[in-house]
Amino acid sequence: MAISLRNLSVDYSLPIGTAHALRDVSLDIQKGEMLGLVGESGSGKSTVAFALMGLLANNARVTSGTATIEGRRFDLTRPNATAPLRGRGMAMIFQDPMLSLNPVFTIGTQLIEVLRRRSPASDRKTRMAQAEDALAKVKLGNPKQRMEQYPHELSGGMRQRVVIAMALLSEPALLIADEPTTALDVTVEAQIMREIIGLRDRIGCAVLLITHSLGLVTEHCDRIAVLYAGERLESGSVRDVQRQPGHPYTRMLFDCEVPIDRERHADAAQNRFTVIAGELPDPRRRPPGCIFNGRCDVSFEDCAKVVPGDYPVAGNAAHAARCLRLVTP
Amino acid sequence: MTDAIAVHDAQLRFGQTVALEGVSVSVPQGTCFGIVGESGSGKTTLMRAMLGLQRLDAGEIRILGTPLQQGRAALTRRARIVQPIFQDPAASLSPRSRIRTLMNEVGTVLKEPHAATHERLLVILKRLGLPDSVIDKYPHEISGGQARRVAIARALLMKPSILIADEPTAGLDVSVQGDLLNLLQDIRRAQNITLVVISHNLAVVRLIAENAVVMRAGKVVEIGEVGALFGAPREAYTKELLAAWPSVTHAASV
Amino acid sequence: MSEAIWALKRICSERDGRLGLAFTIAILAFALLGPLVSPDPNVLDIKARFAAPGVAHLLGTDNLGRDLLARTSVGTRYALTLAVLIVVISSVIGSLIGIVAGVAGGWVDRAVTAVFDIVNAFPPLILAFALIALYGKGSATFVFLVTVVFIPQFGRMARARARTLRNLSFIEAERMLAVHPVTIVVRHYLPNVAGPIIVLASMNLPVVIAFEASLSFLGFGVQPPKSSLGTLIKDGFVSINQSWWPTITAALVLAVATLGATLLGEALRRVIDPKSAGAR
Repeated sequence: MAISLRNLSVDYSLPIGTAHALRDVSLDIQKGEMLGLVGESGSGKSTVAFALMGLLANNARVTSGTATIEGRRFDLTRPNATAPLRGRGMAMIFQDPMLSLNPVFTIGTQLIEVLRRRSPASDRKTRMAQAEDALAKVKLGNPKQRMEQYPHELSGGMRQRVVIAMALLSEPALLIADEPTTALDVTVEAQIMREIIGLRDRIGCAVLLITHSLGLVTEHCDRIAVLYAGERLESGSVRDVQRQPGHPYTRMLFDCEVPIDRERHADAAQNRFTVIAGELPDPRRRPPGCIFNGRCDVSFEDCAKVVPGDYPVAGNAAHAARCLRLVTP
Repeated sequence: MTDAIAVHDAQLRFGQTVALEGVSVSVPQGTCFGIVGESGSGKTTLMRAMLGLQRLDAGEIRILGTPLQQGRAALTRRARIVQPIFQDPAASLSPRSRIRTLMNEVGTVLKEPHAATHERLLVILKRLGLPDSVIDKYPHEISGGQARRVAIARALLMKPSILIADEPTAGLDVSVQGDLLNLLQDIRRAQNITLVVISHNLAVVRLIAENAVVMRAGKVVEIGEVGALFGAPREAYTKELLAAWPSVTHAASV
Repeated sequence: MSEAIWALKRICSERDGRLGLAFTIAILAFALLGPLVSPDPNVLDIKARFAAPGVAHLLGTDNLGRDLLARTSVGTRYALTLAVLIVVISSVIGSLIGIVAGVAGGWVDRAVTAVFDIVNAFPPLILAFALIALYGKGSATFVFLVTVVFIPQFGRMARARARTLRNLSFIEAERMLAVHPVTIVVRHYLPNVAGPIIVLASMNLPVVIAFEASLSFLGFGVQPPKSSLGTLIKDGFVSINQSWWPTITAALVLAVATLGATLLGEALRRVIDPKSAGAR
């Protein structure tokens, strides 16, 4: 097992009180696998990435959680717990590539810096060649010329390719991609996803793809974890979860997606969009029972009282959901 | 019947960049028209030109048969016909004015007594599912979802026959975007409003619009009825766009 | 009103803000109460020339035996009044000109910007000498002069804000509703320009106080027998070998006044305009 995250809980202290952004979230990602962490705004999905990378804001506090990466255990409640891994064991792709690129250095300088940190012994010539090779691998045209360019001279898609090339050179065990394509056009999005998958296949790392798009996850990921209001409601292989969602929230989320091949009905009244009614619970006070209770369309009496555990779906141990229906005959 | 909006051979350059080149589209009255394209396609520029916020270098835009004109008198006439719903509707509410003040401004433009405006507003708020209490609030005191609806309510208060919505679902979660889209469809049908939707979301446009145009680099790639446009695209770029769209259905048939 | 209380609370929540507020209150109290507890600032007490602080003269006396507490507090009062007057006049005029230029655009904008540039091209002191040569010494000249120098600062900021606002969707929405341009300026531009202008005004207060002091120090400001912080420092400076009290007292008051106003201005900016704080 490459990566395992156990019982991650994160609090934010806000002027209005303490908000619980994550509650006991656990994830497992195998080597060479891509896990899609899906959640809507307020689910806490980006907090998972920041907690792992040690990039949480000052007002955030990890109250529990351990990460096991390549056999080493890290207590995430300690400040800078994963610092030894940053840049080597772990790499991150942000939604905005400029968060990873320094505007005053050339692309080449930044790529070579990654190599220098990883293998201080190698000489400059080798590093140059390796850096150019990495740019070619992420399909950035004219790698030689790109090495001399500054980040602002490239388009958003090209910058994201450079960041992927940097990740490629650092050969991480875990690559975290937080909404890597959200700011990009669909045609570029598809290409960038291909490059991320290419990177994974080349170095065999585990990938955590954090996104709001079920479409991206079902197209590119092996496994999926669904986050809602700071809790993991379901996890399993994309195939299993899509075929038989164990949690009503997952099912409703799939229903809300508008398929590109859904045809327009001549009767305008038929062209309705699905909606999940209701609002997120107050992050300061967790309601008793199931966190999704207020918005669920199949809830029953116990849902308001009993906090559900993670139950296997259809007897499949690798597919779990946090819904009482699964254990209620 | 005259078209609600007719754009004929629109040309526009920003320095060296071509913003619009030979763009001609016509939107029949009472229909929903989609403008799709990626960033830099010119879809937002086209919308701003339709609103008169952006002058063209050449070409003509007619609203219900009348050419777009500058000047206050023309603007006042046009305001009663065309209203925009901006990309972030919440940001289209002046932050330091109460909702009531903003709504009364509409009444002033229409030369209508405030009491009459208020009467109409109450009806519209009810239809949009907003509580009356929002009237006395400032924009920052209501939720983002409510602010979106308030912005739509203000546009409707103007009694327009054409609504132009720029990326109405941008920044919204899938679980709530449908709410807004259903609302726009309802309004459109109930009042026979012509709706123009600018969007990068092909799936949404395919479902709500009768006709659509695909734009790229300021030019029209393909234009037509959505069934044909998305079901049997002729242009390679349209096909590429459709193929790149990440959709859950591809895997559903696993 | 509740916004003002909220701003005050935020200012008090940090050390610099508290310090600035304390200094400012102290200076205000000094300027307001000083004259009440001291004799006439212009009465000569020849026997008590260069007196050290004592019961008769709480802060001592100057070379003519005039009470220093009285003279310093009156000078402070004068400096504060001038500073507030100048900042208020120049910020109001500057904002209006700036907003009009920003909203109108085109040649109006270019003309206004050019005038601002011309005024700013003169070093303030040189401009001061020129105007004083033209109109003579005195408070009115001073107010006029500094107002002219400060208008472009406020004008530029208001113009820049207005240019930004012009492209925001709430202003465009107002335009699309065909709301009258005057209504748009008054109701939607002004309140949204006010924040940074207030901050700039508060940060300019100490600048005006110091500028007045420098002009008076050079003899172009307040004329005797009136006192100002600048003349007090200058007079004290002349006789610093006999007594260092007068200079130190006035300089200290000047330092506390400018420091207090600066800290308060900075704190106010962090509250009202957090984005630009620290960018200077």
